[in-house]
Amino acid sequence: MAVVAGSPPPPAPGTPLLYRRDIRRMLTQGVYVAITAVVIGYVVTSLDLRDFGFNFLNDPAGFKVGNQWLTDVDGVTNSRITMYLVGVWSSLRAVLVAIALSTLLGVVIGVARLSSNWLVAQLAMLFVEVFRNTPLLVQVVLIYTILLVGAPLIENAVNVGDFFFLSNRGIAIPWPVPDSGFWGAPEWLVAVWVAVLAGFALAALRVRARRQELERETGQPQYGNRWAFALFAAGALVSFFALGAPVSMDEPVIVGTHYVEGMVTEPEFTALVLGLTLYTSAFIAEIVRGGIQALPRGQTEAANAVGLSGYQRLTLVILPQALRQIIPSVTNQYLNINKNSSLAYAVLYDDLFRVANIVQNKAGHALEMFFVIIVTYMLISFAISMVMNFFNSRVTAQRI
Amino acid sequence: MTEMQAARPGRIVLPPHRQRAHRPWRVRAREWARHNLFHSTSATILTIVTAAILGAIAFGAAWFVFVDANWRVITENRWLLFAGGYPMDQEWRLWFSVGFVFLLIGLAYGTWSSLGRRDHVFIALAGAFVVFLLAHGGAAIWSTLWFLIAIALLYAGYALTVRLPRAAGPGRTLQQRAVGGLLILALPIVLLVLLAFGGARPRELDGFVLNLVLAPVGIAGGLVVAIPLALGRASRMKAVSWTCTTYIEVVRGAPLLGWLFVALFILDDVIGGELIVRAMVVLAVFTGAYMAEYIRGALQALPQGQYEAAHAVGLNQIQSTQLIIMPQALRISIPPIVGQAISIWKDTTLVTVILPLRELKGNADSAIAQFEFTPDRIEAYVFVAVVFWIVAFIMSRISQRLERSLGVGER
Repeated sequence: MAVVAGSPPPPAPGTPLLYRRDIRRMLTQGVYVAITAVVIGYVVTSLDLRDFGFNFLNDPAGFKVGNQWLTDVDGVTNSRITMYLVGVWSSLRAVLVAIALSTLLGVVIGVARLSSNWLVAQLAMLFVEVFRNTPLLVQVVLIYTILLVGAPLIENAVNVGDFFFLSNRGIAIPWPVPDSGFWGAPEWLVAVWVAVLAGFALAALRVRARRQELERETGQPQYGNRWAFALFAAGALVSFFALGAPVSMDEPVIVGTHYVEGMVTEPEFTALVLGLTLYTSAFIAEIVRGGIQALPRGQTEAANAVGLSGYQRLTLVILPQALRQIIPSVTNQYLNINKNSSLAYAVLYDDLFRVANIVQNKAGHALEMFFVIIVTYMLISFAISMVMNFFNSRVTAQRI
Repeated sequence: MTEMQAARPGRIVLPPHRQRAHRPWRVRAREWARHNLFHSTSATILTIVTAAILGAIAFGAAWFVFVDANWRVITENRWLLFAGGYPMDQEWRLWFSVGFVFLLIGLAYGTWSSLGRRDHVFIALAGAFVVFLLAHGGAAIWSTLWFLIAIALLYAGYALTVRLPRAAGPGRTLQQRAVGGLLILALPIVLLVLLAFGGARPRELDGFVLNLVLAPVGIAGGLVVAIPLALGRASRMKAVSWTCTTYIEVVRGAPLLGWLFVALFILDDVIGGELIVRAMVVLAVFTGAYMAEYIRGALQALPQGQYEAAHAVGLNQIQSTQLIIMPQALRISIPPIVGQAISIWKDTTLVTVILPLRELKGNADSAIAQFEFTPDRIEAYVFVAVVFWIVAFIMSRISQRLERSLGVGER
């Protein structure tokens, strides 16, 4: 194995074959490939591959999957792969919420660490040191235990006006559900609404572009984003009610020891997301701090000199520039969130990892299930990287 | 007070080195508070709010620690938490290892760094914490004594080396080589002491001791895996770089918990052995992939001239890699590698998720259902978090020292 960069000199005429670099390289690679082949061959032959195949995924599942949202799969008639996909959806939910929350918290803490207020900086440092240096598993399990022990039993759930419930089975709030007639009978209604929404979105983008153009020409603030958002929101609302508002609120009810209807945030989900958020935001805070500190001091001074407020200085001058350094590292943290979401296993949240494990307990096929798991995680990671790379190219495309 | 200050924008602020001179501490404290806590109305509000939050946290923590919590869960299970199923009659092996490692830490600190007042305070506090835990109830006099001897060894090692001259010379080289060699040999020696010659079987490593063994094995094994991987990935031989890249990306693609399940269910057929040993292999393989990426980054960060210069003075590839490239690359990659080491230290907790499953292979569900969430568990988890925090904190401080003494980022 060799690391030599730069172009190698051509072999002098008459060099013995064994001393020629290209020949050596070929020999080295041959030996290397042979050794690798032997190792892989040993691994493959020692595995039991007699009934290797993925057909078992199509069999009926025969187990239940909890923590479902927007899906209703009982596992009696559904196949194992369906249950697995429900688990993937659970993972994605947790990952997306954790990414959003940890970014928010991480930026706030990272900025707070550089606060001119000594006490604020100390509080932020305490946060970072505590959550960065304790194992995520312990955090998640600890939060879960506190939620189970600390919250009231469902029999004495905290009930706010029959629409907000809090107990050790989680938090339940009302949730809008489409009446039959929207997603149900006339599909054309949905199509019409989607088309109208798309129209409003296009119009909003046009308005935004025109306002930004005007802002560049006149130097006066034109609030393109706000106008665009207001236009889209108004259009969506008006068209929604014009189509008869075919949605009703689904209010939670406690039946026995369970919530029915409404949107329920289970303690498993809360513990996992909260743990991921606290842990990752400590790392993101350090990344944000590093990104800001890497900027020349003159940027802060210049922002002060043109009379920007502290908030304006941060959002208009400091953070946009720091983002260049921040985004690649933060992307890594997002990928970590994706992989760390497998800790759902420890709090019995039915994410993809846990469902895959249940499938494997029922059907065996450890190798195939692991293959499925790793491909799923890689696909999610790939999607995250794609989005972040796009975002990164947008940020770096702007010349400073 | 703040309004007055705001009304006098032209106030002259002395440079810090002159502010200090001939001022009573009260004036200095007030000045400091005015600059750092109450420099504007909004800052004052922020200070009050933050102080309230900090006060609430401190009060809540104190209430939990001194009133609410039932620490008997910890004190009564301290041996279980520390060593779990490690045979009680072999206790001396544990303490011998602790003493040996403490001695080495002392030697290393005396050779490359020094202990400041903060370090002494930290050692005293952490030591008092452990002694309190061990001596509580009076049942473990011998363990307490062993631990105190270990602390004494730390200081003995430190006293032995800190007085030796630091200037470069044959004596200094010998000292550095001796201590460095001992550090490298420490892990095999400790493993031998713990496991060989009538010691415990690997499966009997348990509790905190298991984490303390797993992490160094993962880190050392990871480095051993990582260096050839990094060189391989940076290599221009397509077959080599392609396989190394595949290895790194596949390993980094799945979570550690997934790989530990591979150790549990799949590796049994491939390498056999006890689950702990398989978990160690997985930890090394996993860590190696991450560390390889850091080393590769360092290899790429080296200026092209280093390669060319090595070539120009007539070194062959192996020589230039060994003497010129690797030493620099490793030095550059020390901060991220230590970060990875801390991460592995925390990740060793994941092994405890799969360990209960070894007896019930294929029936993971029932094992996980054994988790009982009784109120006492909160104390146990808080304690575990604190212990892990202390070790991670020590590691991060050592890495800061290391960075400074190796001059990372300087030329």
